[in-house]
Amino acid sequence: MAIVIFTVLLLSWYYYQSQEKLMLAQQRASLSKYAYIQTKRLKVLHHFFDDRVTYPRDSRFNSAIFDLEYKKIFSLLDEKRVKLLGGSYLIGEHIHLVKILDEFYLGAKYLIIEIKNDTQWQGLVWKNILFYGIMSFIIFMLFGLYFAKLFLKPMRNSIVLLDRFIKDTTHELNTPLSAILANIEMMDRDIMSEKNRKKLDRINIAAKMVSLLYKDLTYLTLEQENFNKDEILNLKEIIEERTEYFAILVESKKIKFVLNLEDAILIIDRKKITRVIDNLISNAIKYNYREGIIGIDLKKGELIIWDTGIGINNSEIPFMFDRYSRFNQSEGGFGVGLSIVKSVLDEYKINIIINSIEKKGTRMILKW
Amino acid sequence: MVKIIIFLLLLSSASFSKNVYERHCVECHKKLPTTLQRIFMRYLLVYSGEKNMKAGLRHYLRHPSKEISVMYPLFIDNYGIKSPTRLTKSELNEILNIYWNKFKVFQKLK
Repeated sequence: MAIVIFTVLLLSWYYYQSQEKLMLAQQRASLSKYAYIQTKRLKVLHHFFDDRVTYPRDSRFNSAIFDLEYKKIFSLLDEKRVKLLGGSYLIGEHIHLVKILDEFYLGAKYLIIEIKNDTQWQGLVWKNILFYGIMSFIIFMLFGLYFAKLFLKPMRNSIVLLDRFIKDTTHELNTPLSAILANIEMMDRDIMSEKNRKKLDRINIAAKMVSLLYKDLTYLTLEQENFNKDEILNLKEIIEERTEYFAILVESKKIKFVLNLEDAILIIDRKKITRVIDNLISNAIKYNYREGIIGIDLKKGELIIWDTGIGINNSEIPFMFDRYSRFNQSEGGFGVGLSIVKSVLDEYKINIIINSIEKKGTRMILKW
Repeated sequence: MVKIIIFLLLLSSASFSKNVYERHCVECHKKLPTTLQRIFMRYLLVYSGEKNMKAGLRHYLRHPSKEISVMYPLFIDNYGIKSPTRLTKSELNEILNIYWNKFKVFQKLK
C-alpha cells in the first residue's frame, strides 16, 4: 500500500515537473522578446544617464536589474524573491526570466523579466494528476491484490486442508481416547508387577498427551465459537488441579514443580483458562531438561509460569503465538497451543510477557 | 606688500579647500572633451559592481595601458594614456569612494 502511494506520488511529481518545464518553454519566446526590448531601452538609458533617470516601464511585464555583486540596482518586480542563475523559473504567482547581459548597461549584469503565471495550466495538471493518480492507484492495488492472492493461494490451501483434517479427525478421536483414559483409571495397579506398572504409566502419559492435544483441537475447531460461561474462579484451585493432572508427565522427566500460590480471583470461562494453563504447563514440560524445574507463582493480578528449559531465541518470540508455528521439531504437536493461549488472553484482556534466555529457561508472565 | 601676502594666502586656502578628488582628477579631466561622468559610465559598462569597478579603476590608475583602458581607441589615439599615479593608497581609495558616490546609478533611477 505504502509502495503504491509512493510510486503514484513520485509519478505525479515527475508529471508536474515536466508540465512546468513545458509551460516555461512555451513562455520563453515571449519572455526573451521582452528581455531583448528591455535591454535596448537600458542601453539608451545608459547612454543618456543621468540626464534621463526614468527606468523604462512596460505594461506587458515587470523588470529589475542587479549588478555583478547581486546588488539590486532597480526593481519593479511584484515577487521579491529572485534566483540569479540564468534561465526561467516559476516562483509564487509569477514567472521570471533571468537574462545575463553581455554589456553591463547601468552596471546591470542580470536583467529579470517578470510576467504573471497563467494558473490555467496548473488547474489542468492538478486535475490530470488527481484523475490519473486515482486510476493508477486503483490499478496498482488491483494488481497487488491479484498477485498477493496468486502467491498466497498454495499457503491458504494447505491451511484450509489442515483445518479440515483436524476438524474431521477430532470427532473420531473422542470415543477411543475416553475409553483408554477410563480404563487406565479403572485398572488395579496393586496386583500388577512393577514392570507392568511402569508400562501402564507410560500408556497413561501418552494418553494424557493425546488428550491434551485433543482438547486443544476441539477448542480450536468446535468450542471457540461457543458462548462463554464466565464464572468467578480462584486460579489457585485450578492450578493445583492441573498440576496434579500433569504429575505423571512431570514425573516421567523427573521435573519438579515449585508452587508459590496465593488466592487470585478471575472472572473467566473455566474451559478457556484451563486451556491456557494446560498449554503453558505442557510447554514448560515439553521444552524442559530432564530433572528441570517448573515454577508457578500466583498472586493477585499476576501469574508467572517459569521453567529451566531450553528457552527460545528472542527474535522468535513475536512469532510464538502464530498458528502452526513450531520452533523445535524434536517435540510433537501441531503448534496450536500458544495460538489458543493468545486468543483467550486477548479475549479477556490479559497481558502476556515472555522473557526467555536460550539454554536457561523461559518466564511467561500473565497480568490482568 | 601686505595686499600681496593676503592675496597669496587666500589663493592657497582656496586650493586646499578642494578635496583630493577635485585636486587630482577634476583639474586634468577638465581639459578633456569627455566628462568624468561619461568615463564612469564606460567603467560601469565593463565592471558592473562597486568592488569590481573600484578594483579595475585602481589597477588602471597604477598601471595605465592602452590594452586595459575602457576608452575608445580613437580617444586614446588623440589624447594618449595618463602617466601612473603617484598618489598614496589611502588617497587613491578616497578618490575612488568619492568618484563612486558622485556618479553611482543606485538610488538615482526612478
